[in-house]
Amino acid sequence: MPNIHLKTALDYIKRSPFQALAALFVLTLTFFVGTMMAVLVYSSGNLLKYFETRPQIIAFLKDEITPEQVSALQNKLTNDTRVKEVRYVSKEEALEIYKQATSDNPLLSELVSPTIFPASLEFSVSSLAFAQEVINEVKKEGIVDSVGFTANLGGEKTLQDVVGRLRTITRYLRVGGGILVGILAGISLLIILVITGMRITTRKGEIEILDLIGATPGFIRSPIIIEALIYSSVGAFAGWLLAFLLWLYATPSIVSYFGEIPVLPKVPLSFFAIFATILGGELLVGFGLALAGSFLAVSRARRNR
Amino acid sequence: MVKFAHVSKNFGDIKALQDISFTVEKGEFVFITGPSGAGKTTLLKLILREILPNSGQIIFDGRDIVNLPEKSIPYLRQKIGVVFQDYKVINERTVKENVEVPLAVAGINQDEWEARVNQVLKLIGLDKRSKLFPLQLSGGELQRVSLARALVINPKLILADEPTGNLDWETADAIMDLFEKINKEGKTVIMATHNKHVVEKLKKRVIHINEGKLVGHGEKRKLKVKVEEV
Repeated sequence: MPNIHLKTALDYIKRSPFQALAALFVLTLTFFVGTMMAVLVYSSGNLLKYFETRPQIIAFLKDEITPEQVSALQNKLTNDTRVKEVRYVSKEEALEIYKQATSDNPLLSELVSPTIFPASLEFSVSSLAFAQEVINEVKKEGIVDSVGFTANLGGEKTLQDVVGRLRTITRYLRVGGGILVGILAGISLLIILVITGMRITTRKGEIEILDLIGATPGFIRSPIIIEALIYSSVGAFAGWLLAFLLWLYATPSIVSYFGEIPVLPKVPLSFFAIFATILGGELLVGFGLALAGSFLAVSRARRNR
Repeated sequence: MVKFAHVSKNFGDIKALQDISFTVEKGEFVFITGPSGAGKTTLLKLILREILPNSGQIIFDGRDIVNLPEKSIPYLRQKIGVVFQDYKVINERTVKENVEVPLAVAGINQDEWEARVNQVLKLIGLDKRSKLFPLQLSGGELQRVSLARALVINPKLILADEPTGNLDWETADAIMDLFEKINKEGKTVIMATHNKHVVEKLKKRVIHINEGKLVGHGEKRKLKVKVEEV
């Protein structure tokens, strides 16, 4: 036999299906957008972190340098705590990289020889804060011809520009997404308030009877709160599920497009863990919305009695 | 069981009850009579702690209910079965579900519901109507549902506010027989009515009030004051 409060809540949902559908639709939309934004914020954060922590700096070396000079600079960089993963790329290796990059057009690679490519030292900095000063220092080295970056978005000239642009995108995503989700959450709260208020009005007679036969305020409130919890949990799950299926479908293409940049986890377990965390968070938010909406409506009704 | 000591209640300038004192013993059946507006319903509302008196003391089951904390009111009401003139049944629930509600309110274990509901429905003769909704029942049957709901929690006291007010005399007679039966089983009953025939039939103690004042009490046959007719 189901709990009397759950049964009452389900009865009221069945008796006014359009109210229930309106609440479920708005909550599903809120949590769908919420899930999409959460994943976008996660991915953009990962993208930013990738460029912040792994800026590939390439110091192109002059042609006339000796292996000893290269070793000396390589050792100097390796011993620098701000620098990590120093790698020497010879002219031949540079040609190989070029050939790979132009593999779709063999003519381009046939026309070049290793001599036209400079040898280089590639390295990363442990933090973006050190990038510019390390670059400036390396530029002053006598064997270094020029310094470049592998990261390049929208024609930016410096590493700060690249990361700055990413930071702006991430900030817009977080703030814009937050505002959008906030507005939708506000609408959801209002919908729950309105539906709960209507429920209290339609149950006025029943509430009066329950009060007279000794029902506690908690007993009277329970079906109303359970109903709001049903809307929020079903809405949260449905919204999450829609977004999850969409991401699941799009993830292989996204992962392949971004290559080694870990915008989304490549390991299925991590992918599911992220979505499980989002679902948990959304269910909590949904419960919060349901409790806040129903308590506000009930207390308003009590004040008006 | 119930004691009123110098109880007065005003609604603005209107003196609904003035210096009312009486006692109802355990197991007694008492009629509260008087014309419309005499203060009968006010008196019942005071026992149910729907309203508070302006002065005086009301004792129920050895406890002063005037000074009862707000949070204890539901538990006071759970000891009292109430039957209303307008039945006050929940239209969206079946007869059986209506009778189950007080059990849920009182936190009675669900395993016990079936037996208790069946017993009380049989007592009031509604066992064959248990699956019907209130809109499918007659006035007399609705009043029986109201009575069944009052009885199912085995209350110490039954308050009835004009229980026959909306019924024809034959149905009213049947309902009164049920009240008498319940009283004989040991329940205390306080019934507000202005139905002379009902009062005369049962020959129980009568507390007569008029314009908020107690104008007499005693057995109907000995009472000198005039009991208003419907």
